Amino acid sequence: MSNFAMYDELDQAIDRMLAAPEPSVDGSGADVEELVELAAELRYLPRANFQSRLRLELEWEAAGRAVSAVAGDGLQRAAVQPASRQMLPSFSGKKWTGYPVRRINFALSVALHAMLAALAGAGFYMVKSAGPAIAPSSVGTTRLEPYLAPAGSHEAHGGGSGGAAQMTPASTGAAPRADREQLTPPIIVRNNLRPRLVAQATVVAPPELNFPRTRQIGDPLSDLTTPSNGPGVGNGMGGRAGGGVGGEGGDGRGPGSGGGCCGGPYTWGNGVSMPRAIYSPEPEFSDEARKSKHQGEVILTAVIGADGHPRNLAVVRSLGMGLDEKALEMVRTWRFEPGKMDGRPVAVRMNIIVNFHLF
Amino acid sequence: MKPRARGQTLNAVANLANLASLNDERLLIEAAQSDPSRFAELYEHNFHRVYAFVSRRVNDRDEAQDVTAEVFHQALRNLGRFQWRGVPFAAWLLRIAANALADRWQHASRGLEVRAEEQLEALPDSAAGDASAVERRAMLFQLVERLPDDQRTVVMRRFVDQKSVREIAREMGRSEGAVKQLQFRALETLRGQMRKSDE
Repeated sequence: MSNFAMYDELDQAIDRMLAAPEPSVDGSGADVEELVELAAELRYLPRANFQSRLRLELEWEAAGRAVSAVAGDGLQRAAVQPASRQMLPSFSGKKWTGYPVRRINFALSVALHAMLAALAGAGFYMVKSAGPAIAPSSVGTTRLEPYLAPAGSHEAHGGGSGGAAQMTPASTGAAPRADREQLTPPIIVRNNLRPRLVAQATVVAPPELNFPRTRQIGDPLSDLTTPSNGPGVGNGMGGRAGGGVGGEGGDGRGPGSGGGCCGGPYTWGNGVSMPRAIYSPEPEFSDEARKSKHQGEVILTAVIGADGHPRNLAVVRSLGMGLDEKALEMVRTWRFEPGKMDGRPVAVRMNIIVNFHLF
Repeated sequence: MKPRARGQTLNAVANLANLASLNDERLLIEAAQSDPSRFAELYEHNFHRVYAFVSRRVNDRDEAQDVTAEVFHQALRNLGRFQWRGVPFAAWLLRIAANALADRWQHASRGLEVRAEEQLEALPDSAAGDASAVERRAMLFQLVERLPDDQRTVVMRRFVDQKSVREIAREMGRSEGAVKQLQFRALETLRGQMRKSDE
């Protein structure tokens, strides 16, 4: 029998043996039968990696056992070493669950994670510190000067007067409604109780300066409570001529003259002190601006009233992406120590710069 | 069932050849008892014997591997309690194996007594013959590890994975004839070495 024929015969016998549930040797030559018997034993060979895998399992179990055994002996040095192997087997061991351990990979992984953690932490820090930096200095002289509303070449208008030629000055009360035009001058003591055409009493002043009125109209600067239109003329209230309230005469209200209110807001300087922010929480970034890393300055103009409240807020320079609204929303809550003139709080118009910077 | 299996084991072990002398083995055991990491050496010396013993009884590779693993884990856990009495360490391991097999059969045959009886009958009657067969199988498995790489690959693919010659030829990039030739040579080599060890 040629070698090739013997190879085929052996292979066929092995095929039959593998297919049979029990080992069987049939009809082959004695030589082949002996080899097939050997092959039948080989059917129970363990899998290729079984022995090494079981050894690894036992080594790990033995390593864990070594910790307790040595620790029981009270040997401090030896007890620490196996403990660290247990805690970081992928770093301190040579193999981990059958896979070789490369310490450089472990070190790189730690370094990468540390870097990512640092980046994440830096992100939190930057966002937090990116809050708009609004310091009281942002309303300082140097910063605000280029944006200040130009001071008038003459004293602000305002005030007005009038009266009904009565003996007593105008009595106290709330300032009448402000309007661009005056149809009916304000009067306290009405002579004509049944007018044919009823029109609301107004003074000439910016309409946005209307405030809620809860009491009888009158001269806010007067101390008298006896109803009187004042000694002036012109159907207003006060001691001069005109249809206004108080002051030097005119159709406005306040201590000035002409149409206007309250003498108009002052600009600081020339004896008027600058309002100082005493409560100025920082506005937040809008989500849109934060995502697109949009930053810059929003410039607002406001009238800081004698009571320290900012009013008439308007945007002078816009930044967009919702930052203008954020700045307006927050500055409305601010409180100021009002500007003063001759020791008396007065309304002062000023610009406020709100910085939105990420870094 | 247990006492019978245990008695057979003890008798069988007496005839098993040791890879190291008893004195060397005793030193190894004492070393492993004081430092369990040395248990690996005892494991390497006895793995094939224990596996051959178990596989002779379960006739299923996966189950044989499970029981073998269980035997060595138990041995490692109870190594501190082992007392040297001049009996080879393998005797202790095979007793653990016999107990593990008995427990396994008992557990599996709860409510299925016929199966348990069949398993008992499957145990070899002649302890000496069984020990010899175990020893031969252990030696055969060890010899496979010493085969040249390509022959060992063919043996593992053919008998462990039970693949056809055609599949093995495709995997190895060889002709079917070449694979058949490697298979023949591997078996012939194993037979020659087994004969040599018998002499």
